[in-house]
Amino acid sequence: MVALPRRNEGRAIGFMMTPMIDVVFLLIIFFLISSHLTRQEKQTKLPLPVATMGAHPAEMDAPKLVVNVEATGQMSMSGANVTKEEFQGRLAATLAKLNEKDRSQFEVRIRCSRDVPYRFMQPIMNACVGQGIWNITYAVYRPEDAQ
Amino acid sequence: MRIPGQRPRDGLDINTAMTPMIDVVFLLLVFFVWTISFEAIERLLPSQLSSEMGKQPSTITELSPEMDFEPIIIRMTGDPADPSIQVNGQGYNSLDDVGVFLKQAYQINREAPVRIHPDDEVHLGPVISLFDLTRQCGFEKVSFATRPDAG
Repeated sequence: MVALPRRNEGRAIGFMMTPMIDVVFLLIIFFLISSHLTRQEKQTKLPLPVATMGAHPAEMDAPKLVVNVEATGQMSMSGANVTKEEFQGRLAATLAKLNEKDRSQFEVRIRCSRDVPYRFMQPIMNACVGQGIWNITYAVYRPEDAQ
Repeated sequence: MRIPGQRPRDGLDINTAMTPMIDVVFLLLVFFVWTISFEAIERLLPSQLSSEMGKQPSTITELSPEMDFEPIIIRMTGDPADPSIQVNGQGYNSLDDVGVFLKQAYQINREAPVRIHPDDEVHLGPVISLFDLTRQCGFEKVSFATRPDAG
């Protein structure tokens, strides 16, 4: 008769799965939340317009320029206030770095307050038209998400 | 009390092994509570531009087949927060009425270009709402009019 090896004989054999899962989950959540918060930090908080046809961005990696416009008409990019001339300059500088393919996909994303008068949008639109950019998107909330 | 069939390992009681499990459960609880309290998700509304004065004549020439269709021009004037709307000169009281008209217009001509022309002081909220409405009605060629001298 063959003797079966006895379980739990050695001291260090037991491997606790629960703390392992705990640590892995903790790391996942840490990176998830920190990346999310970093993205939120970058964005100026604005009461965006509401639209039912708003969709998720199709291509995350497509070259884009994000411009924020507050209700007072103040424009900002990457956390710094800019004038319309500076915006035009940045747009031209960004486009100059792109190749033909990226240029055709280039997107200008406008994050603006719903209370901003339309006249403050016109310089942005005209600057885009002047550079041959037609792909403009507006950041919006769905009605169910709007505060 | 000891569960039958389980041998304690080196004095490790079953109650001690419960602690990491509670830890994991709390972690999941915190994760779900936190995620539902995140900010509202932003969506994107793609648009096209057109220049009111024809700043780029070459582009307009290229679009000549579309120009065969009479464009639907929507003006927004008056109160910045709640502007009055005229579609091809015809006034409408509410966005719903404009929606009814646009749906009918879409049935007649699905290719018609729509041009939204708000006054300078009109807020962007109503403009985007109207733009959204035209997209809902099915129009693909919706553009904004701008004055070339505005910037």
